[in-house]
Amino acid sequence: MLKYIVKRILYLIPILLGVSAIIFALKTITPGDPARQILGNEASEEQVQAKREELGLNDPVVVQYLRYIGGIVTGGDFGDSYRTGEPVLSEIVPRLWTSAKITFGAVIIGAAVGVLLGIISALKKYTWADSLVLVISMFFQSVPEFVVALVLIMIFAVNLHLLPATGLESWQGYIMPMLCIGLSSVAGYTRITRSSMLEVLGEDYIRTARAKGQSESNITVHHALRNAMIPVAQSVGTNLGNAIGGGMVLETVFGVPGVGKYIVDSITQRNYPSVLGGALIIAMVLTVINLIVDVSFVLIDPRLKTTIISGGAKRAPKKKIKAA
Amino acid sequence: MSDNLLSVRELVIHYETDEEVVEAVNNISFDLKKGEILGLVGETGAGKTTTALGIMGLLPPKVANVISGSVELDGNDLLRMTDRQMRKIRGKRISMIFQDPMTALNPVKTVGDQISEVVLLHDRCSKAEALRRAQEMLGMVGIVPERYRDYPHQFSGGMKQRIVIAIALACRPDLLIADEPTTALDVTIQAQILDMMRNLQKENGTSMILITHDLGVVAEMCDHCAVMYAGELVEYGTVEAVFDHPKHPYTEALYRSIPSLDKDVERLHVIPGMVTDPASLPAYCSFADRCGDACGMCRTLDPKVLDLGGGHTVKCLKYTSKWEGKTDGKTESA
Repeated sequence: MLKYIVKRILYLIPILLGVSAIIFALKTITPGDPARQILGNEASEEQVQAKREELGLNDPVVVQYLRYIGGIVTGGDFGDSYRTGEPVLSEIVPRLWTSAKITFGAVIIGAAVGVLLGIISALKKYTWADSLVLVISMFFQSVPEFVVALVLIMIFAVNLHLLPATGLESWQGYIMPMLCIGLSSVAGYTRITRSSMLEVLGEDYIRTARAKGQSESNITVHHALRNAMIPVAQSVGTNLGNAIGGGMVLETVFGVPGVGKYIVDSITQRNYPSVLGGALIIAMVLTVINLIVDVSFVLIDPRLKTTIISGGAKRAPKKKIKAA
Repeated sequence: MSDNLLSVRELVIHYETDEEVVEAVNNISFDLKKGEILGLVGETGAGKTTTALGIMGLLPPKVANVISGSVELDGNDLLRMTDRQMRKIRGKRISMIFQDPMTALNPVKTVGDQISEVVLLHDRCSKAEALRRAQEMLGMVGIVPERYRDYPHQFSGGMKQRIVIAIALACRPDLLIADEPTTALDVTIQAQILDMMRNLQKENGTSMILITHDLGVVAEMCDHCAVMYAGELVEYGTVEAVFDHPKHPYTEALYRSIPSLDKDVERLHVIPGMVTDPASLPAYCSFADRCGDACGMCRTLDPKVLDLGGGHTVKCLKYTSKWEGKTDGKTESA
């Protein structure tokens, strides 16, 4: 198991090198001078030149790239933001944490509602309940997130005064962003759960359980659900990743200081250290999340244990010989 | 009642879809005594599995309909029982072994859990006691009891079938229905599994319905043999009677299709034509169109089940006075 985890973390190195190289290349291709941007239009040519020298922008791209990578490896230094002069890392970490909290909450809401609806529509397939679930989940998938967000703000903040319209000053501020992102993913979970539940309920081992005299409700909970959750867990993994970095629109609507908004702002300001640092840190976090999700599959599906631990089914045959 | 454990009477099961009605089981009747093994033979689609699922009450809901008939276990009609009553019978009094052991076990549960599940359902006992019983069952089917913590994927196909058998026998059922228990297995494993099943059956005095299309297995294992064709029981009797004196042309044709070891033949003998489509059964004898002995009357009348004596029954016009075909030596008139 440890070997597998270490191997997966080592995969991170080529991924990060690739991501940083691409963004570095973009930085050199795109027009505009960051030094000029930092200093503003009034600054003299000499000042700009001095700034370029200070930022190392006059060195060849390869040298800049190696210097950047060297900084990260030796001191966790992702450079300073052109805009504020603050280290990128200390700007990103709190924002990432905020986004992560909202995303986790949203995924929990989305998965809980989606799985529940999926189970209902699988058990009541081809009935009105099934159709109703389909319509509801399709509705939340088709309506853009920001529309749902605005409607929620109208109802809960403007009319009912129950929740703050924007900001995260109190815990109530988290509710609407979580709900919005969560509801938009409900449709996906519902459909995955429904189809995998239907598939599992048609399996032979469900018939075996019926032949034992087990009740339908116990069969659903103890035999079908865990097997049906395997594809759902996979989709939770991908959703977590996408939502952490991709919540830009909602972060804007709700005035949430998240990492998605930070990166988009940095792009418009040509604040390359922030863009680069943000992309790299998100890539790292995503890899770690995916790793945690993959490892947690073992808890759901014991068949993966042999594949993950030993990198192949080497141990199983040995046991067989002993017992045969 | 008599010493009949199971008594199936005039059972009719249809599969109904929007397009068609498939007459899967048509009016079959048979009895099974305590401790007896009945072999149910027939081609694919003859209605063997449907009959078994009908007895278990496990027919797919909505699609399958039991039209008429009764399935009595010790005189109580299973078809009239509620779901709750049936659940108490399944696993406890009647167990079933399915065809494919590779998919019959839940991949995310340990085999110990899966065996003890059935014990916990039917016998009042603690979890520890049920688990101990599961280990005992594993030992009984020839698997090291300590492996109760292992998952199904850690076992081979033959061992999985042993585990399935352990589940089926864990509550010492009165009746075991085995639906082609060895079809999915290696030939060398088949004999092992059948031997084990027969020994366990003898030890526990379990009655058994063995569904197969392997006539050799029937000869080896069974006391009685029932031949099914297009949802009908065309011939029934003791294994000796049916094997030594097959009466129905279909049974005869089945025997002819077994390759012989001592004769060198170019091609194996086949029964001409296709299995009659159960969605459009003729009003006359359903085997008539493939039958070498069929006469004009065979394509007009649907023969009744005829008792030839000694419990040997056959559903064929040949043994009645209505038959108009050529009379050769082996034909007897009733």
